[in-house]
Amino acid sequence: MSDPREPIIRFDHASFGFPGLIALKDISLDIYEGEFVGVIGPNGSGKTTLCRAVLGLLAPVEGHLHIFDCACDELRCHHRAKIGYLPQKGVVDRNFPVTVLETVMMGRYGALGLFKRPRRKDYDIALEALAQVGMESHKDNALGHLSGGQQQRVFIARALAQQPKVLILDEPTTGLDITTQHNVIELVQHLHDELQLTVLLITHDINMIRSRVDRLVLLKTRLFAAAPPADVLKPEILHQVYGKDLVITEKDLVIVEDYHHHH
Amino acid sequence: MLDLLAYDFMQRSLLAAAMVGGLCSVIGVFVVLRGLAFVGAGTSHAAFAGVALGYLMGWPPLLPAILFGLATVWITGWAEERGRMKLDVSIGILYTTTMALGILFIGLMKTYNAEVYGYLFGSVLSVTPEELQIIGALSVLVLGLLLLFAKELYFIAFDQEMAEASGVPARQIFFLLLTLVALTVVVSLKTVGAILVFAMILIPASTAYQLTHSLAALTLYSAAIGILTSVAGVVMSALWDVPSGPAIVLLATTVFFISVFFSPKRVRRARLAHSH
Repeated sequence: MSDPREPIIRFDHASFGFPGLIALKDISLDIYEGEFVGVIGPNGSGKTTLCRAVLGLLAPVEGHLHIFDCACDELRCHHRAKIGYLPQKGVVDRNFPVTVLETVMMGRYGALGLFKRPRRKDYDIALEALAQVGMESHKDNALGHLSGGQQQRVFIARALAQQPKVLILDEPTTGLDITTQHNVIELVQHLHDELQLTVLLITHDINMIRSRVDRLVLLKTRLFAAAPPADVLKPEILHQVYGKDLVITEKDLVIVEDYHHHH
Repeated sequence: MLDLLAYDFMQRSLLAAAMVGGLCSVIGVFVVLRGLAFVGAGTSHAAFAGVALGYLMGWPPLLPAILFGLATVWITGWAEERGRMKLDVSIGILYTTTMALGILFIGLMKTYNAEVYGYLFGSVLSVTPEELQIIGALSVLVLGLLLLFAKELYFIAFDQEMAEASGVPARQIFFLLLTLVALTVVVSLKTVGAILVFAMILIPASTAYQLTHSLAALTLYSAAIGILTSVAGVVMSALWDVPSGPAIVLLATTVFFISVFFSPKRVRRARLAHSH
């Protein structure tokens, strides 16, 4: 398949992990600027490994990974600061003594580099990031006093303060109630549209994202599919990965047994 | 009390206490936030073994103390990074091993050496002008490095992986923090002693932790509490003729319990519990 656009991230037969324990094998995948990509797959399928690789926390043991047209086989390429990241997170220590603005300012530290102190401009960028997630009125509050959904917004603002080209979110809705989950995904969609960010969103909740993403990447150690949702969410493909018969209804994706049970 | 200040030894002691109190309490902020409390304890005992070796061999004691301290933190950091061993396990092993070495070195000395015990329990009132110079120089070095890398140190204390992912050389900064902990411990040995230095690192930062929700305020409060309790502890030690190390630590502990009782965080927790 040829695409006239240049990929912003290119996996070229790349494998990650350790010899004898390969988490991702022979991945070839192009991600283009401005794409909204959902990454799905069962537990332990290598979704987080894929993120960590793009972030420069892991080098390929085979193959290559190019980011922003740079062969980033070397970890800590300077381009990494252009990738904002919302890690999979347990609940923050509620007493960790950090304010919302201090948390978001940390997003500037990597971009600033060593020996440079944050200036007025950096505070302005952090405040703007907070405004983008609707949390500017909380800037002086303790992070630990916020709700789970508000904390996620602050962490997204921290990623935005890096002024990233790519935003990676690792299960951003885990542990949130349904309304809050919806709001967080809405926010991500809005940021993608507004800031033309390339978004990689890892999730287990296929239903939540399938109408929003340009493509779904389906992983289980290998890359099973990377295509528009309608082409990925087919019973035969899902069966290979999840080992269960899944059926796609008008709105939902349901395990067959449950589907028969309800109908 | 003002008469006391006229004595050279008293001036030196107060200066040493202020420097050590400030230094321990500032590095303590990062130790508490990054969860390195046990590393502080292990390092101080390793450094003490270095002091004992120094006296046994007739070397300047601070030199082997620095080497033992650095070796301990670097081995610990390396083992954790490699995923070989959890931090508390490796430091536990090194802690007891170096303590055994310290006791062995003392046992090998033919005569009783009171100075060695000074490093175990602290004797700030006997700090010499030369020792004060060393404490001053090392304090400036450690505080300077802490200031220079403050934003990176805060970031790795909060979330090391996130820091690394956003381009901060988190690994190197973590080893820098371990190194500074070791140097701080060595600087403080003579003043508060190997056993109590650990308390000086932990208590002011933990006290400040009860009082604020801001990283910047936490550091300032911790430094203020560290300096004030150290200086007040020395004064009490001189006035009432009690050992200086315990005087400082017990005073700091008292302030800690008061802060826990009046902590806005505790009050908030109590209110939350009440409202549910």
